[in-house]
Amino acid sequence: MGIIKKLPYYSEKVPGGSIVATQLEAVLNFAQAKSLWYLLFGTACCAIELMCTGASRYDFDRLGMIFRASPRQADLIIAAGTITKKMAPRLKRLYDQMAEPRYVLAMGGCTIKGGPFYYDSYSVEKGIDHIIPVDIYVPGCPPRPESLMEGCLHLQEKIKKQKLNNWQEK
Amino acid sequence: MGKLRTEEFIVNMGPHHPSTHGVCRLMLTMDGERVVNVEPYIGYLHRAIEKICENRTYPQCIPLMDRFEYVTAMSCDYAFSLAVEKLAQIEVPERAEYLRVIMLELNRIASHLLFYATTAMDIGAVTPFLYGFRERELIIDLFEMTCGQRLTYNYIRIGGVSRDILPEFVPKCREALNIIKGKLSDYQGLLNENPIWKARTKGIGVMSQELAVAYGVSGPNLRATGIKFDLRKDDPYSIYDHFDFDIPIGQNGDVFDRYLLRLREIEQAIKIIEQALDGIPEGEYKTKIPFRFKPPAGEVYSRIENSRGEMGLYILSDGSTKPVRVKARGSSYNHLQVLPEVAKDCLIADLVATFASFDIIMPEVDR
Amino acid sequence: MTKDELKDYIDTHYQDKMKFLDTGRFDLMYEVTKENLLEVSKALRDDENLKFDFLCNLGGADTREHFEVIYSIASVTKRLRLDFKVVFPYDQAEIESVQEIWPAANWYERETWELFGIQIKNHGNLKLFLLPDDWDQGYPMRKDWDAPDFIRMPEL
Repeated sequence: MGIIKKLPYYSEKVPGGSIVATQLEAVLNFAQAKSLWYLLFGTACCAIELMCTGASRYDFDRLGMIFRASPRQADLIIAAGTITKKMAPRLKRLYDQMAEPRYVLAMGGCTIKGGPFYYDSYSVEKGIDHIIPVDIYVPGCPPRPESLMEGCLHLQEKIKKQKLNNWQEK
Repeated sequence: MGKLRTEEFIVNMGPHHPSTHGVCRLMLTMDGERVVNVEPYIGYLHRAIEKICENRTYPQCIPLMDRFEYVTAMSCDYAFSLAVEKLAQIEVPERAEYLRVIMLELNRIASHLLFYATTAMDIGAVTPFLYGFRERELIIDLFEMTCGQRLTYNYIRIGGVSRDILPEFVPKCREALNIIKGKLSDYQGLLNENPIWKARTKGIGVMSQELAVAYGVSGPNLRATGIKFDLRKDDPYSIYDHFDFDIPIGQNGDVFDRYLLRLREIEQAIKIIEQALDGIPEGEYKTKIPFRFKPPAGEVYSRIENSRGEMGLYILSDGSTKPVRVKARGSSYNHLQVLPEVAKDCLIADLVATFASFDIIMPEVDR
Repeated sequence: MTKDELKDYIDTHYQDKMKFLDTGRFDLMYEVTKENLLEVSKALRDDENLKFDFLCNLGGADTREHFEVIYSIASVTKRLRLDFKVVFPYDQAEIESVQEIWPAANWYERETWELFGIQIKNHGNLKLFLLPDDWDQGYPMRKDWDAPDFIRMPEL
């Protein structure tokens, strides 16, 4: 995306050039939002609901989302399940291996603030947003497949609003 | 030409891998394509459930025990309630016992369908994944009608169950069981005579009877070696002695036997549920226990037959509202301990098939 | 054998080594001293009438006065069940390993060492297991353990 980042700067100078940039932005955002490939990262109970969402009755494939096993081939990481202190460096490493633009969806109560393991537990990481930057939070214990799909639709709306030269700014 | 120099090298099958059931790390020492040694590293899902239970009252521990083994959450609730009822000598009404048995056996069918779906996908077949989850949704609908939740139920409480079933539960349950009975022949027709499946599962991962008993292996993994031992018949709890069912066993103790045995157990579970649905009595569904529940001082270890093996709970109480020590024993802990002995001198693909056929769930290991 | 017959059998044959406790609310509970542990375990496994070859559970406990280690055993062929425990004070926290007799005890003893701090003699593989690799904050399952980020649930 290096050349594309410089495009708005050069197209400003040409009369009528900014229309090219906005149309290109719309096409690229549409293409990205409608075919997000997610990384299979399920640790605990929410992983079973993630598998149910990808199976026959609630089908993830109709939103364009397929699971991939390797972080190099994915652009969304759905963190489903409790993250413990032993697992946290591995999550950071997986996130670093993904190619930009990349998004994070925190699924379930345990990834938001620790869930039912907030009190009295000595080994649970209370929330993942101090390890990796999170885009969408989906609450529930575990969240129903319909809530997860609603979260993915909100993520698609968020992607359609992103800018060409700085994909993280809203 | 001199002799070719070979060396062993170490491969890390890391905590994040598409074919580990949960987060388990295996360090393999390889000699070419053969595995010389397997060493499991665990602890990536250690959530300290036992420490949390020491600061909660007895009814507050039940939602935590749901998360101990979430695929068969009804069995975990039941194991804890049974241990407390044995400690305090509480009588449970008969209607509640019938409802408990129906829910436990439905959960056993759902767990074996999940095993069928994920094991076939690990070995390479993708169609059984969609078939297994499609039938599992029928059972989850029944659970949602009764207690409102799809995965972590909090339904079986100390002294009974938390609410009664609706009138439309019984006809809907019979319809779901008829559909599943019809589809079982489809599942076996896909895989049983398939030459690729037979080449990848027959004779792989053989476990002998002495090894199984010495390492504390229980459940379908023990029955596949030929020993006929099932806690529902040999140490009966609840009202299992009123029903008439068989215990299927295997011959060789390999991956194919473990897979076929679990499909046969689904048939037996359907038989038990049909007998139970025909004979539910009227009556209360719960015994009243006091608000600040204090069992007498003492200790108890009680065990039940989960769909994976033996699940046990040890509770030590000193007469107050909170337990002093709760130790939960899951069967996957012993099965993972026996994996290095069973998987000596095999190829990596065989190791994946053996690991999938043990039906290991990581929160039972790590707690 | 029923439960009463088992109690009579053990009281006649092992009465000087196993002491009956009445805290067991459903199964029989006995107490064994540290020195007799290996001898009693081997005898229970090899006895022709009992054949206790299946170890169900092995765990440590911290009542606020002493440490305990509880063993739960069962027999696959004879359908019997028994529990026994070893009690010792806080400053003598070590015990023999029973993995020669029941190989399943290996991981259970490693976990008891890691969470409670009870030393196991002749184990051979006492390394960190469930806790993170750089853990240096003590033995968490003891009743008097505390840490800066350990939040206790407030009483209502």
